[in-house]
Amino acid sequence: MDILFLLVPLSVLLALAVMGVLAWAVWSGQFEALESEGQRIFQQESVEGSEIAQKKLETH
Amino acid sequence: MQAAQTSSAPCFSSPSLRDETASSALAVFDTPDEWAAFSQLRQLRQLHQRNGEPDATGDAASAAAALWESQVRVRGMHCAACALTLEQALLAVPGVLSARVSAASGRATVTWSAAQTRPSIWLAAPHSLGYQLLPASDAFALADGVQEARLMLWRWLVAGFCMMQVMMYAVPGYLAEPGDITPDIEKLLRWASWVLSLPVVLFSCGPFFANALRDLQQRRISMDLPVALGIAVTFAVSSAATFDPAGWWGQEVYFDSLTMFVFFLLSGRWLEQRLRTRTSGSLDALMQRLPDTVERQGTDGRFQRIAVRRLNVGDIIRVPPGEAFPADGTLVAGDTFADEALMTGESRPVAHANGSRVMAGSYNLSNTVQVRVDQLGAATRYAQIVALMAQASTDKPRLALLADRVAKPFLAFVLLAAVFAAAFWWPTDPARALMAAVAVLVVTCPCALSLATPAAMLTTAGALARRGVLVRRMQAIESLAGIDTVIFDKTGTLTDSAIGLRRVHVRPRSAATLTPTQTLKPTLTQARALQIAASLAQHSLHPVSMALVAAAGSAALMDTLVDLVDVKSMPGLGLEGEIGNPADAAELAELAELAEPAEPGRVGPLRLGSARFCGVDGSPEPSSTDAMQVYLACNQEWLARFELDELIRPDAGKAIAALQAMGIRLQILSGDQAASAGRVAHQLGVRDVEGDCTPQTKLARLQHLQTLGHKVLMVGDGLNDGPVLAGADVSMAVGKSVPLAQAQCDFVLPGGQLMMLPAMLKQARRTMRVVRQNLWWAAIYNAVCVPLALAGWLPAWLAGLGMALSSLLVIANAARLAASPVPNQPGPG
Repeated sequence: MDILFLLVPLSVLLALAVMGVLAWAVWSGQFEALESEGQRIFQQESVEGSEIAQKKLETH
Repeated sequence: MQAAQTSSAPCFSSPSLRDETASSALAVFDTPDEWAAFSQLRQLRQLHQRNGEPDATGDAASAAAALWESQVRVRGMHCAACALTLEQALLAVPGVLSARVSAASGRATVTWSAAQTRPSIWLAAPHSLGYQLLPASDAFALADGVQEARLMLWRWLVAGFCMMQVMMYAVPGYLAEPGDITPDIEKLLRWASWVLSLPVVLFSCGPFFANALRDLQQRRISMDLPVALGIAVTFAVSSAATFDPAGWWGQEVYFDSLTMFVFFLLSGRWLEQRLRTRTSGSLDALMQRLPDTVERQGTDGRFQRIAVRRLNVGDIIRVPPGEAFPADGTLVAGDTFADEALMTGESRPVAHANGSRVMAGSYNLSNTVQVRVDQLGAATRYAQIVALMAQASTDKPRLALLADRVAKPFLAFVLLAAVFAAAFWWPTDPARALMAAVAVLVVTCPCALSLATPAAMLTTAGALARRGVLVRRMQAIESLAGIDTVIFDKTGTLTDSAIGLRRVHVRPRSAATLTPTQTLKPTLTQARALQIAASLAQHSLHPVSMALVAAAGSAALMDTLVDLVDVKSMPGLGLEGEIGNPADAAELAELAELAEPAEPGRVGPLRLGSARFCGVDGSPEPSSTDAMQVYLACNQEWLARFELDELIRPDAGKAIAALQAMGIRLQILSGDQAASAGRVAHQLGVRDVEGDCTPQTKLARLQHLQTLGHKVLMVGDGLNDGPVLAGADVSMAVGKSVPLAQAQCDFVLPGGQLMMLPAMLKQARRTMRVVRQNLWWAAIYNAVCVPLALAGWLPAWLAGLGMALSSLLVIANAARLAASPVPNQPGPG
C-alpha cells in the first residue's frame, strides 16, 4: 500500500491541473454562446465563411 | 370630431427612405475621433517598412493603416443562427478581418483595417439582411458584466470539482472497517482533502464571507451570517483535527459535508444569476432608443450631421421619418405623426402640427420636420421617466424574506446553545467545554435552513420557464404568493399591440338617384368593401393596412381583388391607386354612384385613408365611437368606412375571471383615453378602471394601495409603466415589452399568455408551502441534534452525515414542485 503515498499526492496535483484547464475554459469564454456553435453545422455557408476569414487573415 | 378623425388617420412612410437616412447617419462615425469611443487600436501595421518606403507619411497615415477592434450592438437578431449570418455578411466586406457575433448578448466584435474600409461601410453592410448595427460606446461597462458572470461560474466550478475530489478521499473513511486504514494513510487522505478544500473555503465562499461582513457592519442579520459562521467554524475544526489530531477539538474532519454544502449553495446562486442575465434588457440598452446622430442647422442655414451629445438647447434640427426625436422640442417647420406608444401608452400615431411639442424617444412617422431643441439629456421627459423609475425601485417596499426572518432567531439560538454548552462543561472539564461548543456550532451548520428557500424557488423557476415564463428575481416568487391586488396596464398588456378591424360601414344608397334599374343591382356588401380595401392595403406595411389585410383574410383570394396599378403611398394621408381593370372600374363607378365618366372605363383613383384624404366632409354618418377610422373612396366619393380598434388578448377574459375567482382584486390603470380604457374594462368585467394616467399618477395610485396594506402585482409593458413596475411588490412584463420595463421586472411573459397569471399564483403558493415544510424540517433536525451534541452523545461522523442528509432531503422535497408543474391549459404550444 506504499504506492498510495505517491498516488494520493499525484491525484491532488492532477485535480489542480484539471482546475487549471477549467480556469482557461471559463476565462476564455468557452461556456458562452453555447448554442451558436451547435447550430453552425446547419449553415451551408459556414465552411466557405471560415475559408474567407482564413484567406483574409493570411493575406494580411 | 374632425380633429379626432385626422389624428387617427394612418400615416405611411416608405422603407427605402429609412435606409437612406440610416446610411448617411453612419457617416458621422468615419472620423478617428469617433472611433475611439467604441474601438480600440489593435496594431499599427508595418506597411511602409515592408514596401521598402521611408516612413515619411507621418502619424495620420500610420493611424489610417491601423487595425481597429470595434464593439457594436446588434438589433434585429432573433436566434443563434442569425449570429452566423451576420458574421458572414460582415466578413464579406473588404477590409473586415474578423467578426465575432454573440447572439446571447446581442453584441459583435469587429476587427477592421482602417486602410481599406470605414465604419460607415461595414456598419451599413448587414442592413439589407434586416440587422442594424450601432457602435457600442458602453463596451467597457459590458465587459464588467461578463467578468462578473465568469467569476461566478468559476467559483461554482471550483466548488463542484473540489467537492467531487474530496468525496473520493472521504469514501474510504465511511466504508472501511476499523483498522483497515493505517493511521498514516488516513492522515494522508485528510491532508489531501484539506488541500482541495482550501480553494473552496478561501475562493468559492468569498461572497458568503463578504456578505456576512457587510451585514455585521450594517448591524443586520441575513442568512449569510450563520452560513459564514458555520463554514468558518467547520473548516477551522477540521483543519485543526488534520494537523493535530491529539487536540481538544477531536480528530474528526468534515471536509466532505462542507464542500458539498458550499457547492449546493453556489449552484443556487449561479442559476439565479443566469436567470437574471438571460432576460437582460438593461437601462443603457433603452438609451439606444435615442439616435446617435442628428442633422443640425448650421449658421449658414445648411444641415449637417453631428453627434447628439454635441447638441445645444435652441438648435434647429431636422428629423426624417423613421427616426426618433433626440430631444424634447417644438416643431418649427412641417407637421407629422409621432409614435409615442412607449411614453404615453397611446398605441395610435399622435398628430403634431407646427408649433406643437414633441418628446425625446418618440418616433417621427410621416414627414421630415424641423424641431427647435427645448430640453436635452436629463431634462427631457424621457429621462425623467427613467429617473422616476430608478427612484421608485429604491423606494420599493422591502419584504422581509422568510429565510432572512428565520436567520435572526436561528443565529441567536445557535450562539446561546454554544455558550450554554461551554458554560455547562467549564466547571468540570474546560477542554471538553470548548469541544462541546464547537460541536454545537458544527452540527447546526444551517444547511437545510439556507437551502430551504433557494431549492424550492429554483425548482419553481425551472417549472415556470418550461411554461414560457421567465423569472428574473427568484425572491419574487415568495412575494407573488402573498399578492391580493393586481393592477393591469391596458395597451399591450390586456390588448394586443396590433390593431384589428371592429366594424365596416358601407355607403348607403341615396334615395335621390335611385332608379328602378339600380335597385336590382347588388349594393356593396361589407365583405366586398373589405376586399377592395385589402387590394390597396396589401401594398403597405402600415399597421392599419395589415389589420385590413388580415381581416379580409383568406376570403380575399387573388382573383377577387381589384387589379390596381401605380399604387402610391401618401405619407400621413393614405394610399392611392389607379384601377387597371375596366370591369372593376365600372363596378366601382356604379357603387360610388359616379356621374358618367369622362373617359369610358376610367374612373378616378381609389383611395384608402383619412377622411380628408378621401374627400369626406365632416362625418357622413354620425360616428358614435372614438375608434380609429379609415375611409375607402373612389374618385372622392366614399364607399366604406372601417372602424379599427385594439384587440383584446384572446385569453384575457378567462385569466381575469380566474383571478377574480381566486379573490384577487383587479384594477386597470391606463395611459390611454378614459373612454377606451373603460370600454376594455367593461368587456373584461373589471370595475375598477382609470384612464388618462401619467406615470406619476399610476405610481401614486399604487403607493396609496400599498399604504392601505395591499400587496400589489403590476402587469405592464411600456416605458410609462416603468415607475409602477419598479414600485410594485411584484412586477410582470408582458409580450414584446420595452427593455427598460423588462429590466425592472420580476417576471417576463414573452408570449403574453395571460392565462399563466392565475397558474403562477397557484404555483407560487405551492412553492411557499414547500419552503415552510423545509424550514420545519430544518428546525426539527436542529432541535434534535443540538441537545445530543450538548450532551456529547453525537458522534462526529453522524453529525456530518446528518448535515449532508438534511441538505439532500430539502432538495428532494423541493423537486416535487417540478414533478407536478402548473396545470396545463388548452391552447397552442
